[in-house]
Amino acid sequence: MTAEQKKSNLRMALVLASVAATFFVGFMAKIILLNH
Amino acid sequence: MSAVLDHPAHAGGHAHDAHDHHHGPSGWRRWLFATNHKDIGTLYLLFSFTMLMVGGVLALLIRAELFQPGLQLVNPELFNQLTTMHGLIMVFGAIMPAFVGFANWMVPLQIGASDMAFARMNNFSFWLMIPAALLLVGSFFMPGGAPAAGWTLYAPLTLQMGPSMDAGIFAMHILGASSIMGSINIIVTILNMRAPGMTLMKMPMFCWTWLITAYLLIAVMPVLAGAITMTLTDRHFGTSFFNPAGGGDPVMYQHIFWFFGHPEVYIMILPAFGIISQIVPAFARKKLFGYASMVYATSSIAILSFIVWAHHMFTTGMPVTGQLFFMYATMLISVPTAVKIFNWVATMWRGSMTFETPMLFAVGFIFVFTIGGFTGLILAMAPIDIQLQDTYYVVAHFHYVLVAGSLFALFAGVYYWLPKWTGVMYSEVRGKIHFWASLIFFNITFFPMHFLGLAGMPRRYADYPMQFADFNAIASIGAFGFGLAQVYFFVAVVLPCMRGNGAKAPQKPWDGAEGLEWEVPSPAPFHTFETPPKLDATATRVIG
Repeated sequence: MTAEQKKSNLRMALVLASVAATFFVGFMAKIILLNH
Repeated sequence: MSAVLDHPAHAGGHAHDAHDHHHGPSGWRRWLFATNHKDIGTLYLLFSFTMLMVGGVLALLIRAELFQPGLQLVNPELFNQLTTMHGLIMVFGAIMPAFVGFANWMVPLQIGASDMAFARMNNFSFWLMIPAALLLVGSFFMPGGAPAAGWTLYAPLTLQMGPSMDAGIFAMHILGASSIMGSINIIVTILNMRAPGMTLMKMPMFCWTWLITAYLLIAVMPVLAGAITMTLTDRHFGTSFFNPAGGGDPVMYQHIFWFFGHPEVYIMILPAFGIISQIVPAFARKKLFGYASMVYATSSIAILSFIVWAHHMFTTGMPVTGQLFFMYATMLISVPTAVKIFNWVATMWRGSMTFETPMLFAVGFIFVFTIGGFTGLILAMAPIDIQLQDTYYVVAHFHYVLVAGSLFALFAGVYYWLPKWTGVMYSEVRGKIHFWASLIFFNITFFPMHFLGLAGMPRRYADYPMQFADFNAIASIGAFGFGLAQVYFFVAVVLPCMRGNGAKAPQKPWDGAEGLEWEVPSPAPFHTFETPPKLDATATRVIG
């Protein structure tokens, strides 16, 4: 695997991980802040 | 099960010319520090089969208790623990890891990649599952016994349980983290590491279904993690998200859970569709009919799976407009699913079919999964669902989908790729005995449950009135037969192949099979496609 491909893989993995983190935090934030 | 070849034949040409020899760790270090996708795939498959046996023992305890009316073997509290843990272990410990095992073994081989994108994270994803499994199984020995709130972990039951619920929640968190890491690995591998010429629309269907499944996992596992985190804070940190005593709403938990739970159903069936889409063309000796429509149908099922969750909750009370929306949206899923079924049948139409064990399981899957699909359509209708909610009709339905669906597809895949994994041909006679025993005992177990449900027998009860005795006795006998068939599968089919007992498998044991996995020798060498292979125009053959 080339260094460039490793970098590209890492970038995509971080994007995907941030999507997962957003779903986790976002769902709880929505319930905590917007549920009455 | 070894993937190592010391002196491999050069039938695979370019695919393995540079690194035939495996110089990595051996013994236990090979497995503990495994970074090779084939080794990790093997670990996942062995782990999932172990959990299948554990979950199966719990199922047999349930069926033994239900063999006749009255309380014979377990008390109602333990019965609730058994049903809960059976569900959790089968879903998160057996079916999901088995498909991840298949993905680890086959995705890099099918797209011409040397390994998964993140080999060390792959190792971590697998080994996280062991403490999670120990926590789940060990919870039986904690004060108050194992979690008993059902696999859905509904509030307020979860708020009233003993410390084992915390162990269960922690285990689910770990399994969720493992799934998300595995999904990221699979997506990056498929999108970034395909061999030149392997365009997305030339990719094998198994890779396509896993790509879509991995996106589903990334979207919904964090939602489950959020729900059980809020359950945890309700239990220990004074919040009242789901606790009605503090102004919380248990029904909100159900909405959140099923927003995860329904896509989860498709997470467990889409890779199965992928396996069947590989096997049917191979044994019909024809190209897969409607490849593009298969891809679009899989994507449609995945998208629709996000807008149907409340069909699990018709009886909680919702406006008629809500019922209508979720009813029609659910029925809409039958359209892309039917596209897939018709495409498999069209692939078989006028094909030169033979019925080796993988094809038997694939055809069995199509027949029996379709029955599960039809009962799903019946349950999708709100007025009927309100009658059948939480009866054995539902139990029959989802076992037709998950056992005859997911599990049969997994067996089909094992028989199809076992020669590639081990280098040994399994015994066809034993494979056929396993298939027919599984098919017959499966139907003996679960078909009578439709009648029990229609007659009104509720699920998750340790006892029942005399009127349900006959069908329950039949179901219990079938369950023990089904369990024995799976022990036979491991002892008579898998173990001999792992030990190298049997005829040597050729590079391509199925003459109608296509794909890059058949371009490397059997067993697949430890290192494959170290340098990107040059593919032909169809991206199914290595030409240089």
